[in-house]
Amino acid sequence: MIKLDKVDKSFDSYKALNKLSLNVNSGEIYGLLGANGAGKSTTLNLILGFLKPDSGFIKINDVNIINTDIIGYIPENVNLYPYLSGIENLDYFCKLSGFNYDNNELSSFLNECGLQEDAHNKLISNYSKGMRQKVGIAIAYSKKAKVYLLDEPASGLDPLSSNELSDLLKKLAANGSAILMASHDLFRVRETCNKIGILKNGNLIKEMDAKEITSEELEKVYLNFMKN
Amino acid sequence: MKHILFNELIGLFRNRLFMILLGVFSISLVLTTYFGIIHNNKQILSQNDAKEHIREQWDEMNHTNPHNAAHFGSYAFKPITILNSIDEGINGITGNVIRLEGHRQNDVMFSEASQSLLISNFGKLKPSLLLQFIIPLFLIFLAFNSYSSERESGRLKLLLIQGSSLNKIIFSKIIAIWSIGLTLLLITTFIQFIFTNSLFNIDILIRLILLFLSYSLYYLILISLTVFLSLLFKNSTSALSLTLVLWVMWVVFLPKIFGNTVEKINPLPTRVEFQNNMDNDRSKGIDGHNPSNERKDELIKSTLIQYGVNSLSDLPVNFRGILMQADEEYGNSVWDKHFGALYLQLTNQKNIYQFTGLINPFASLQSLSMATAGSDMFHHLNFLSQAEYYRRDLIELLNNKWRDGDWDENFYKSIKDFHYNSPSFLSFFWKYILDFVFLFLWSIILVVLLKYLTKKTSIV
Repeated sequence: MIKLDKVDKSFDSYKALNKLSLNVNSGEIYGLLGANGAGKSTTLNLILGFLKPDSGFIKINDVNIINTDIIGYIPENVNLYPYLSGIENLDYFCKLSGFNYDNNELSSFLNECGLQEDAHNKLISNYSKGMRQKVGIAIAYSKKAKVYLLDEPASGLDPLSSNELSDLLKKLAANGSAILMASHDLFRVRETCNKIGILKNGNLIKEMDAKEITSEELEKVYLNFMKN
Repeated sequence: MKHILFNELIGLFRNRLFMILLGVFSISLVLTTYFGIIHNNKQILSQNDAKEHIREQWDEMNHTNPHNAAHFGSYAFKPITILNSIDEGINGITGNVIRLEGHRQNDVMFSEASQSLLISNFGKLKPSLLLQFIIPLFLIFLAFNSYSSERESGRLKLLLIQGSSLNKIIFSKIIAIWSIGLTLLLITTFIQFIFTNSLFNIDILIRLILLFLSYSLYYLILISLTVFLSLLFKNSTSALSLTLVLWVMWVVFLPKIFGNTVEKINPLPTRVEFQNNMDNDRSKGIDGHNPSNERKDELIKSTLIQYGVNSLSDLPVNFRGILMQADEEYGNSVWDKHFGALYLQLTNQKNIYQFTGLINPFASLQSLSMATAGSDMFHHLNFLSQAEYYRRDLIELLNNKWRDGDWDENFYKSIKDFHYNSPSFLSFFWKYILDFVFLFLWSIILVVLLKYLTKKTSIV
């Protein structure tokens, strides 16, 4: 569903991605690991259409043109409108995507994403980072996207919420969505993803099946690649 | 687009500081418009009282002959227009009363500025002061980070992924802030309409609509420019700084620089020079070869021929009436030469200054604001011309009566007071086409530039 083939991207003389090729199929959760500056965000920005590759191609659902209708995106820091409540923010972003849900439906999305009911009508300015993150997840989820792109989605979430996020992503994948998740969180990636890739200096240096590796092994492999 | 627009307005109306400022500006506009109307009405009443008083004096004055009446003279009052309460333009400086008498053309007198203790570069607190200087600042502060706040917070990516476009986001924000400016304009025009609608006619309505349109376009230009700079620089502080610098240039420096340049290109004579030239022409003749004594001799000759008599004592009419009218007509030609040139210079200055709207849309706004309020230079010159032509007719009537010698009390009472026929705005419209063109041009160029920039701007 998400296919990158020999994608190059440079910023002036800095090579951010070097012939990056990866596939995320329907029903798959791909964890992209890497240090700061490895090229994770550049990869996501290319798939989102905010950047154009210098060479190579990107296909989503077998089409070259980026179709935002089928993409759900969760940034690392979900900064919503502070003067709107959680449910109003969700409603606004849903309406932008063309979905006009009633309050019950909006509430159930927020519930499913782990936001407690009594917080739904509070202003976002009173939310913690984790609560905002949950609304961000609900925005992507309510879009019923086929492709999800997540940039450090568990950042700021407590362990319980992180676990709920993992469950939600697995549910989405089980329903046929393709999910690409950029993260530093080895444990969360190992727990959530089917496939793991390690990016270093714009090169995909290792791809592995999450089932075939333990968290400890993943940490060793990761650190080994980072040090060398 | 409507969702973004609606969300922007919710954001503004849920912001306490914004609501306080909106409230303060709304109340200020209501009060200044209302007090402007009250002040206007007082001026109109004072003028009416003065007119009645002068008429009574005229009627009660025991004029021994029409020549004495010509010296007694009359006054022309420049009517206070209804929209003067919004923008009094040059009226506060030029004055609004002119004394009309035989032999001489006087200047306008009794300007409010000359009788005021409160001398200020910005003039009196009128709605135009708020609409031209204060509200634009408010709009700049609302607009300067409308784009950068979305970008810096990361919401921009979310908005785009949810199916919106940068174009829609930018223009929704511009329209939302513009609607605040339009609301403040509506408050002003609504108050004006409520308290003066009994005096409204189609011309006043057209003027009010065009005044609204001029300010609307200027606000659109200012907001679009602010957002344009915020898109260009991507940094809210740089965008705000540059917008403020440009705004100060528009309202403070460029009007002074262009004003002085225009005066250099089309200089006006000093008052002393002007009066000396007038006196010179009066005594020596227009072309310098026609001294007044020679003119008098020629007039005597032609009059004697006209009436077929040999001496002035044989004339069936009073020669002094003929002489006074001839002198008056000569004085008129001197006036036409000097004041005609002066008015032409003033008109040229105004026309050249209007071109500065190409660089400074504030100049076009100010011109249109005064024009629609009927308080600009073109309206003032029109008043002066009408007053002068009334004076000529009055003096001619009196001189002819003196010549024929058949006047009585009823003759003086039959003389009508000066009545100023306010020109309709449409009859003057061509004088302001440049101002409208420049405001439209600025708006269109900025919208096109914004559309172009939204396509070229990198989101990351």
